[in-house]
Amino acid sequence: MIKVKSPRDFGAGLLFIVIGLGGFWFGRNLNIGVASRMGPGYFPMMLSGLIAAIGLLTIAKSFTLEGPELEKPQLRPLFFIVLSMLAFGYLIERIGLALSVAVMIIIAAFARRAKFNIKETLALALGMGIFAVFVFIYGLGQSLPAWWGK
Amino acid sequence: MDLGFLNNLIDGFIAAGTLNNLFFCLVGCMLGTLIGVLPGIGPIPTIAMLLPATYGLGPLTSLIMLAGIYYGAQYGGSTTSILVNMPGEASSVVTCIDGHQMAKQGRAGAALGVAALGSFFAGCVGTIFIAAFGPPLAAFAQKFSSPEYFALMVLGLVTAVVMAHGSLVKAVAMILIGLLLGLIGTDVNTGVQRYTFGVEELWDGMDFLPMVIGLFGIVEIIKNLEGPEVARQAMSTRIRDLWPSLQDFKDSWKAVIRGTLLGSILGIVPGGGVVLASFAAYTVEKKVAKDPSRFGKGAIEGVAGPESANNAASQTSFIPLLTLGLPSNAIMALMMGAMMIQGIAPGSAVMQTRPDLFWGMVASMWIGNLMLVIINMPLIGIWVKLLSVPYRLLYPAIIMFCMIGIYSTSSSFVQIVLTAVFTGFGYLLLRLDCEPAPLILGFILGPLMEENLRRSMVLSRGDPMIFFSRPISATLLILALIVVALIVLPQFRKTREVAFVED
Repeated sequence: MIKVKSPRDFGAGLLFIVIGLGGFWFGRNLNIGVASRMGPGYFPMMLSGLIAAIGLLTIAKSFTLEGPELEKPQLRPLFFIVLSMLAFGYLIERIGLALSVAVMIIIAAFARRAKFNIKETLALALGMGIFAVFVFIYGLGQSLPAWWGK
Repeated sequence: MDLGFLNNLIDGFIAAGTLNNLFFCLVGCMLGTLIGVLPGIGPIPTIAMLLPATYGLGPLTSLIMLAGIYYGAQYGGSTTSILVNMPGEASSVVTCIDGHQMAKQGRAGAALGVAALGSFFAGCVGTIFIAAFGPPLAAFAQKFSSPEYFALMVLGLVTAVVMAHGSLVKAVAMILIGLLLGLIGTDVNTGVQRYTFGVEELWDGMDFLPMVIGLFGIVEIIKNLEGPEVARQAMSTRIRDLWPSLQDFKDSWKAVIRGTLLGSILGIVPGGGVVLASFAAYTVEKKVAKDPSRFGKGAIEGVAGPESANNAASQTSFIPLLTLGLPSNAIMALMMGAMMIQGIAPGSAVMQTRPDLFWGMVASMWIGNLMLVIINMPLIGIWVKLLSVPYRLLYPAIIMFCMIGIYSTSSSFVQIVLTAVFTGFGYLLLRLDCEPAPLILGFILGPLMEENLRRSMVLSRGDPMIFFSRPISATLLILALIVVALIVLPQFRKTREVAFVED
């Protein structure tokens, strides 16, 4: 039976194939043209093809060469960090820099596995929010809403 | 030898030496060191994070500040390596080996001092290197047209792959994916939109800031949060006596000179740059030492050589960028991106059209190096204190700086979403052992490569032989082929694997 000997390579190969095929699919309406007059699709198609080909190669390799196991992903840090970023971006125009920074920092605090320290987190969130307004808006003169949304 | 460059250099010092420029150079060095000293943060995320701060300045001033940030970040990284044994990036890995041992023996001061002085010496030599070799190379590049540029980029990318650490095949894939991402936006020739998905923010091409911050800055934080929380024990004892002793000088000056020369040469090689320089210097020091067994136990040459080499290399890696418009590694790609934002297309033309810019920047590199020595020696205590701030307080602050930086340059939620997307992508790459640095290189070169390929093909009416019928482009491509052939040789493969393993 064929067995995947290097799961990381297998995964990477799969990722490359997906990206290559994505390049083809989303560029399917681009005109390829001919070599002497390349259309907007020529170079992208060439790259997508190469990426997919490397993907196949990497997968083939993963059946023959031993490689390390995949690490079990811990989704907690990834999830909360990304969520905190998105919350900041979504909220800044609505509730201003100080509060959106505070919200971001409180959400980001959940990314740690350790016990949630309410006092410290709130103090950090508040302090950072005020600090950000003074440095970026009053200090560097950036035009962002400070204490509340526009 | 033509010494005309000395006059130019003086002009450069005049251009760079205004109070305003000096001030921003200092700010850059300070900020760069401040961020670079934080454990686990290498120069790439440091530069990416601080890039928005330079947008509002004039071209020369912003480049000067950026160069300051770069050197500061690098120096900060060495400090962390020596004191806490936590390299921020691959080039400081070797510094850790003997540097941290020295710190443990209470000689942190000597290690830091030698690193600083060796780096400064290397910086001086590197600056002269750029001043001397830049103009002839730029003059040579004036002969280039599209086929030559295309061939040059191929050579650059091929060598970058060979010099990258990790899997070769994956590095090639990363470059290609970067090239593809670089094509996002409106096609300049036809006005057709490619891969924009109707998002207005992508019409002019994707901003590289969300990509770099996501891939390098945020992913790094997530990686650190996944690991167990370690209490970092900085060596705070006895770094008061910062100056190396006379004996230390005697032991290390030769290593500094060897490292500087090695680094200056390796820095010019595309893709090689800083990492290779420090690894090679360490190997050389071990080879020439009378008693190699001292290495790994606090040999001062093991700090002096690599530190000088990586600073010299970080200096001379500007040469291909400033003269040929070819970034030789991810950091130079960032510099190129920053230049383009300022409306400067790096390359041989800059020296003709904006000599003040070229020479000003060369001069500012030297000034930056000097400032680093001056500020770091007395401020070392502050950096050490910073190291003892717990990570749970640091990482929210880092995320905040990243997010405000991105948001303030665009005021658009889309850029934050893009950052989030690249964070996810970067996390995937991390788990799959794909090193993302070559991707940046591809991203910056993508549009340029396509443009030059198109023009060459128009020139030759679609005949790919044009690349081989022109002497310069043929030579460059043959060099690229030789490099590829070298990789296939088992002998070379082994050396390459060994070169990036510290022991």
